[in-house]
Amino acid sequence: MKKTLMASVAAFALASPAFAAGHLAFAEGEGEFNWDSYKAWAESAPDLSGQQLTIFGPWLTPEDGYFSNMLAYFNEATGAEAVYTGSDSFEQQIIIDAEAGSAPNIAVFPQPGLASGMAGDGFLSPLPEGTADWTRDNYAAGQSWVDLGTYADADGNDNMYGFFFNVNLKSIVWYSPENFEDAGYEVPESMEDLKALTQQIAADGETPWCIGLGSGAATGWPATDWVEDMMLRTQEPGVYDEWVANTIPFTDERVLAAIDEFGWFARNDDYVAGGAAAVASTDFRDSPKGMFTSPPQCYMHRQASFASAFFPEDVVVGEDADFFYLPGFAEKDLGSPVLGAGTLLGITNPSDAADAFMTFLQTPFANEIMMAQTGFLTPHKGVNLAAYNNDTLRKQGEILLGATTFRFDASDLMPAAVGQGSFWTGMVDYTGGKSAADVAAAIQTSWDAAK
Amino acid sequence: MDNIAGSKSSLTWVVHISVVLLVALWLFPTVGLLVSSFRTADQIATGGWWKAMLPAEQNQTFRATDPDDEGAQSRDGDLYVIEGNVFEGAAVGEISVWGTSSREISAYQAGETADLGDGEMLTVQANGDYRLTSPTEMSGRGQRIFTTAVTPPDFTTQNYKDVLFTEGSGGGMAKAFFNTLTVTIPATIIPILIAAFAAYALAWMDFPGRALLIAAVVALLVVPLQLALIPLLRFHNEIGIGKGYVGVWLAHTGFGLPLAIYLLRNYMVGLPRDIIENARVDGASDFQIFVKIILPLSFPALASFAIFQFLWTWNDLLVALVFLIDSSGETTVMTKQIVELLGTRGGNWEILATAAFISIAVPLAVFFMMQKYLVRGLLAGSVK
Repeated sequence: MKKTLMASVAAFALASPAFAAGHLAFAEGEGEFNWDSYKAWAESAPDLSGQQLTIFGPWLTPEDGYFSNMLAYFNEATGAEAVYTGSDSFEQQIIIDAEAGSAPNIAVFPQPGLASGMAGDGFLSPLPEGTADWTRDNYAAGQSWVDLGTYADADGNDNMYGFFFNVNLKSIVWYSPENFEDAGYEVPESMEDLKALTQQIAADGETPWCIGLGSGAATGWPATDWVEDMMLRTQEPGVYDEWVANTIPFTDERVLAAIDEFGWFARNDDYVAGGAAAVASTDFRDSPKGMFTSPPQCYMHRQASFASAFFPEDVVVGEDADFFYLPGFAEKDLGSPVLGAGTLLGITNPSDAADAFMTFLQTPFANEIMMAQTGFLTPHKGVNLAAYNNDTLRKQGEILLGATTFRFDASDLMPAAVGQGSFWTGMVDYTGGKSAADVAAAIQTSWDAAK
Repeated sequence: MDNIAGSKSSLTWVVHISVVLLVALWLFPTVGLLVSSFRTADQIATGGWWKAMLPAEQNQTFRATDPDDEGAQSRDGDLYVIEGNVFEGAAVGEISVWGTSSREISAYQAGETADLGDGEMLTVQANGDYRLTSPTEMSGRGQRIFTTAVTPPDFTTQNYKDVLFTEGSGGGMAKAFFNTLTVTIPATIIPILIAAFAAYALAWMDFPGRALLIAAVVALLVVPLQLALIPLLRFHNEIGIGKGYVGVWLAHTGFGLPLAIYLLRNYMVGLPRDIIENARVDGASDFQIFVKIILPLSFPALASFAIFQFLWTWNDLLVALVFLIDSSGETTVMTKQIVELLGTRGGNWEILATAAFISIAVPLAVFFMMQKYLVRGLLAGSVK
């Protein structure tokens, strides 16, 4: 078993450079793909022979290879030459390029804040007409995606500039099913159960959670996800929106309560691997590995769908590792809220090829090609779920499609000084022992200053 | 006796010990990086590099052969049997204790037999051989075996293969290497050419406003280059060079010139006035003096600046990203290639360590070849 697994991993590793070169990764008619949607699109697609389409984004190895594979089908259908390049300093570089007038055709934004800022400066061109209607009709919770991609231009008029492609799901808890089985634990169905399980694991002399906030200059962000999830599970979505817009202050008692819900897990030495003091210093990329050590350092890890990228190499997602939806409180009737984030594409240098590519992304086929290769999730309602690379992804895709409430990562929507600054550092201070009220007051002060 | 000239001061020992300590301090992280570059990501995450060199007691998890695999189960009398060795494909160790549950990883001694229920029995030997027997046909996933074993050091060269032969979005490392050379060599030669002329003029030719010009060059030394990124790129776009090699050469030249002129002028000003005046008396023109006298005498300063400029352009990522790398994917440099290999979320430490050693190779070679000029050249302009 192990040997065949290694062999297939090795074969994949050998095969992927060939993928990266942008060959057609899947032969026509093969796989669980909606080839009809591709052919129909290809027939009506404009002839773009010789046109270059440059796409610039934050994805590096291995995601850049997967994306290039999808581009290969676009090139095949239109004759265009679409090329993707990635950079780890995308956020700075896209601004330099746009300011200097050498922007790529399409930019892939990791969060809406940056796109909104660039739209306000007049660097983005509106998406092809009809994209907003299409998104509203074809994406689960469509209106929220339209709202997240709609910004004011330099003159203050609202246009849809951002098309969401590749979404990740944050409200999930990873665990090792076999370790749960060894210890006789059950997957919790409600937040009350989850807390009871946490107490039970601690009472058994084990450690329930691995939590790591370390992320270089961005240290603290995993905690903001926790707080956002707790916010959605303790309050109405409307309160969440008011919090994001700062119409209720950060120091509101409902916000403080959500922070303290996170503190219930993270600030108890018995509940976190390494003790509460280790939370801020553990790197979020190393943190999930604790679930797979022998003996396990912890039993659960709350992190977005991409966490599986940081599991040890021999862990098979779906067998050695699985996840459950971070449940809501049974006593509060708030449905099943889902927290997520995602990348959006915007046109930074308009051309026919750019418009054509934006419509190509609306085909189920373009989504399915991505789904089959990587940890790619889509809210597109028309895709064949069987195309997902594995069962774990499929389950995540179903959660996304079945969400009664979808809310975007709040820290990505807040002003940069807060969402990528004081909120992060504030959460580090909080896990270090500062009170929620003090931390929230400091964050609110920085928000006032940013207004 | 101690004060007799020529005998060693007792302080010599202090000096020697401090030197050894300083060298150790400098080498320590480098050695760690070197060791890490031969380890896998999982090894780096679970234990420090200083533990990698010695045999260590490790807790590991293995999985017995999947019963559903073809031919996995053989018959022995009435029993279904799965046999194998847990260390297959991994470093072989000496097992002391083992277990079958993540809760009790040291339940059994090596050689003991565990009862897994339903008549299933598992025996694990110290050398890793295991035998799983059952009265009925087995199904489900392979049985997990938790071992505590002393394992020898385990190193891999896979990281180097990954870094050298993986193709990024802009092509492989070989292409990036030649691109980097294409950037670096002209970006080193052009500023030296210009700076040598300018330095001579500022040092030995009399013209009004010379002092002001020198002051302006010194003032430019303190201007951070980040300030010029957007205006300069916009300028390049307007005059039609856009992003490309010409642009990056120009940018490196511009950013390197103030230091080059300052360094060379100060060196040239220190050359003996008599030689130059003699040449003038003999009827040499300024150009002849420059080519035949100043240039040969300034060689140490030129070489040392060349080394500085080469190292700086070789290691540069920022200027290349702004002025060279466009979204066509055709242009990439080694620093960019390495950043890409780090992955979208930047967690691949083993790649970082390996890439550091690969990208250090050329600067090291340059440094050792030109070391004697660097030592001489470091004094350039410091004594008049």
